[in-house]
Formats: sequence, structure tokens, C-alpha cells
Amino acid sequence: MNARRRLMIARLARRESIGDAYHVLYFDVPDGLEGRAGQFLMVRGAEWGDAPLLPRPMSLLTSGAAPSILIKVFGEGTLRMARTEPGEPFALLGPLGLPWRAPDAERRPILVAGGVGVAPLLFLARELAERGVRALSLYGGRSARDLPLADELARVSELEVATEDGSRGERGRVTELLERHLSSASAASRGPGGTEGPTRTQGRTQTERPLAAKAAPSDAVEVFTCGPDRMMARVAQLCAERGVPCEASLETPMACGYGVCLGCPVPLNAGGYLYACTAGPCVDARRIDWRSGEHAPNRASPAGDP
Amino acid sequence: MSADAVKIGSLELKNPVLTASGTFGYGLEYDDFFDVARLGGICTKGLSRHPRAGNPPERICETPAGMLNAIGLANVGVEAFCRDKLPTLRARGVTVVANIFASTVEDFVVIAERLDAENGVHAIELNVSCPNVTHGGIEFGKDPTLAAQVTAAVRRATRLPLWVKMSPEAGDIAEVARACEASGADAVTAINTIRGMALDVEGMKMRLANRTGGMSGPALRPIALRIVWELAEAVSIPVIGIGGIYTARDALEFLLAGASAIQVGTANFSDPCAALRVADGIHDFCARHALAPADLIGRARRAASPA
Repeated sequence: MNARRRLMIARLARRESIGDAYHVLYFDVPDGLEGRAGQFLMVRGAEWGDAPLLPRPMSLLTSGAAPSILIKVFGEGTLRMARTEPGEPFALLGPLGLPWRAPDAERRPILVAGGVGVAPLLFLARELAERGVRALSLYGGRSARDLPLADELARVSELEVATEDGSRGERGRVTELLERHLSSASAASRGPGGTEGPTRTQGRTQTERPLAAKAAPSDAVEVFTCGPDRMMARVAQLCAERGVPCEASLETPMACGYGVCLGCPVPLNAGGYLYACTAGPCVDARRIDWRSGEHAPNRASPAGDP
Repeated sequence: MSADAVKIGSLELKNPVLTASGTFGYGLEYDDFFDVARLGGICTKGLSRHPRAGNPPERICETPAGMLNAIGLANVGVEAFCRDKLPTLRARGVTVVANIFASTVEDFVVIAERLDAENGVHAIELNVSCPNVTHGGIEFGKDPTLAAQVTAAVRRATRLPLWVKMSPEAGDIAEVARACEASGADAVTAINTIRGMALDVEGMKMRLANRTGGMSGPALRPIALRIVWELAEAVSIPVIGIGGIYTARDALEFLLAGASAIQVGTANFSDPCAALRVADGIHDFCARHALAPADLIGRARRAASPA
């Protein structure tokens, strides 16, 4: 189903800087990269020598003849990427990992993005838009400067923004936006036998709804999320409480990206681990033990750049 | 015997390049990349008697020209390996070196006996040098008496060629290697990782959940090369060189120092075809010099003045 993985030497076609911290890198892959939304590349400068040693896992922002990634400057590897100029050769390994699962045509997609985690969601939003589906995007960051590609996201979806300092959109967290949307969506869609039992919603008691009323397809939602672990943990919790399907794109450090270093374990609720590179990065959020992420020191680091 | 082949005791390898345990999975992850049977061999992920989930995250972090890992020997266990992995490797003609790990001599013996009952395992590599588990591993590899005990016990349990992977942290690594040789080892592999540490300064804490991890990568190479040189002097069984080999040039250094074969490890992470690249590069070098890899083994020692 997925395209064959391969190691390519590709030159940087162009770099678009979004402030100092965020950059979009476009690579020149003449025969095209058949990556899907949610898949990722391992990216390393082909002339970096022995340091930084490891390639960096980066979600695809676009695919095809000019595949691109969004980076946030965090460590030495991403700093090098931020300073790269067109023509510089990169080693790209991919496409890797599991893409987003196919959106459910019966549910409206809500995309919840945090900072640099927007990349695989913008890819998804563009795919949805091409099929005539306008997703609801909820995008959060510390400030207006931490919302790279927000305008692009607004072009292909309905965008709502939250910033912690209130410099763009609502002041607060993106998870608060989600909570509000899920409350109204679930209130509208929850029929008899809803998961929370009889409740008063929108000024009516449940018994006032006709017994035959099933959730209209347009009221049902599903969530796709990518961002810092703490944000995704809250998104997963909000969805789980309401029985809303939630797919998360995991970010963890990894050395190989294709299943052999075993450096990217993510704890599961059922016990044990899944490896984000091959059993992810896109996973059903209900499977993940989000609490244990709090004990991992680097899980919030973008794409594992140490 | 083809021109690129080398012999490790009775075992002939198609060429002197193997992949290092823990960096190449079970050799079945490479279908998209290349035919693994073209390599001299693969060393499997360390196999234990029972499956192991491994350590919690973080398990890896990057260091200058290297990395630390504390995977904790996550593996499917010897039974699942024999049932689910080995038949495919055998059918493909892959030269398989089963790397095994245990915390007791008895478990080492049980695993070796299990592998001995299978076709398609060409050698066993004893991991007596893993720095990332609480019991076993490195304890066996640091002490010549314990290393000899486990080697002798496994020797009695199998007819397969037996390699022992050396810890660079043994006080006298040559003494450990000699003890293994005297106890029936057919080769020694040098070296495993060296324990290191890294801290997250902003977070003011350890980077690895295990606190320490085994350091690998190019930063390790000069140390590994020195140890291979010393061991080639200390024992008369073959030495298999490993430590930060990324290119054919790196590999040739190890052969010239006295290694009979080499293993490519961390390099596999950034290039799944790294070991094949190294094997091709050695082939080209040999063609250019009208030599076979076997002619290179220890060749730099001839020119060396007595230490």
C-alpha cells in the first residue's frame, strides 16, 4: 500500500523562513516522492560529516517532486537546516511510518495543531480540501510568532487560533477551543444512549428530542492532532471522554526511522511499547499511555532534535 | 571460496562485512533497500530466553560524533526468532550470527541449545558486554573468570562457531579475550559500546531514563581500533572489529590492524545500505591493489616497530 522506502540524495530547492525559528525546506526530487499525509522523512545534510551524526525525523508537509518539511530551530541539526541554502545536498530516507488513517466521510474532521506540529495536519487539510471537505482547524502556540503556516491552514480549512499571550486569536490554550467544540458537537449529536447518560443540553432535556433522532452525520466529528505531548494528552483525554475518535501523530527522538534502533518506544495503555517509527507516527490516541510522557525528558522536543 | 571471502575459524563469510547486533533488527527490515544475503553476515538483535520489552524512554540521545543508547535488550525472545524470523533468513541464504544475552550461565546455555537445534544459524555471538541491563551482560565480560565460565558452558552446549563480544570496560581486555579463547571461543568481537552519559541542561535532568547508555559511532573508532590491534596480538583466534565504522576506509583500518572481519553498526541508522556500501568499497580497494581482503588482515602490523 505504501510507497517503497528509499534513501535519496536531494538538493535543497528553496528555504522559506518564517521568522527566525521556523523554516520550510523544499527538496528537489525529480522522480517524485510518494509520501502520504502523516508520513515522515529522516533528514540529514549529506555533507554534515560526523556531527550532527543522526538524521532528524520530520513530518512531510508536501509530497511529490518538491517534498517539503517544516522545521523549528531547536538543536544543532535544525540550526544547520535553518541556515541551509539552495543546492545543498540532503540525504532523505522515506517515506516512512504510517500515514493518517483515512478520514471518516460521516464525520467532520477537527485538526488540532500545536506549533511545528501543524505540518502533517496542513498536509491532511490540503488533501481534504481537494476532496471538497473543509476541516475545522484549531491551532495553538505561545504567541502569534509560534503559528507557522497559519495563513496556509486558513486557506484550506476553517481556522480558529489560540495563543497563550493572546497576541493572535483567543487568549488561552488550543485544547480549550477543542473542548468548546466537542461540547457543542456532542450535545448536538448525542442521542438516547449517549455515553454520559441523560443530560440537559442546549436548554432541552433529552426526552424532548424525538426518540428516533440519531446523530446527524454532519454533527459527528473526529479529531486529528499533532503537537507537544502535553497538548496531545489533553486532546486525547477530551476525545476519549466523549467517545470521539482521535488520531495522534507522535513525536519522539529516533535514530533510524525504519524499525531497527528501537529508540522511539511510546508506552501503551495495554502495557509495553509501540515504536513510533513503524507502528506510528499516526496512531489511535486511545492506545497511548499519555501520562508516562510526563516522565520522559525530551518528548516535547520537535522531531527529536536533541 | 570467492575472492572477497574471509574465514572466521571454520565459517566462511562471503565478504568481511557483517552488521552489528542491535543496529540491524533481525535482517528482515531491509526488503525495500537491498538483498541482505549479499553481506558477509548479520548479527541479530540480542536474543534472550524470553521476550523483553526494553527500557522506558528516553532510550537514545545524540552526542558529539556519536550517540548513546540504553535500549535494554528489547527483543522477541529466542523462540519467536526461531519460529518467525529464521525461516525467512534461511530461505534467503543470509549468513546469520545469533547474538545472545542472558543474566545467568544456565540461560545462556538454554538459548544456545535452542539455536543449535535449528538450521540456518551460522554462529553464536555471546553478548557479555551489554552496558544497559542491571543483571548479567557486562558483569560477565569484565571478569576473565566469569567470561571463561560462560564461554565454556555455551561451548559444551553447541557445535556452532562461538564468538564472544568484548567489553571495552574490562580492566584487562586482553586477559578476558585469552580466557575466552582458552574456553573454546572461535573468535572475539571488539568492541561493544562504552558507557556514557548526557544531561538535559535546561531541564536539569538525565537525558536517558537509564541514566547511562552505551556510546557508539565515529567518536568511538580510534579506541576500538587500538583495542583490535591489541587483541590481534593477544589471541590467535580471529578478531572481528567493530566501532564507528561508516566507510570502507574505516573498515580497511580495522582489517589492516588485524581484524579478520568487521561489523557496521550505528552507520545503519542513517543509511540502511551502509554495510553494503562498505563491502563494495572494500571490494573496489582490493581490486585496485590486486589483493584479496584476506591479504589485508593485519598487514599494517608488518610495518609496525615493536611496541
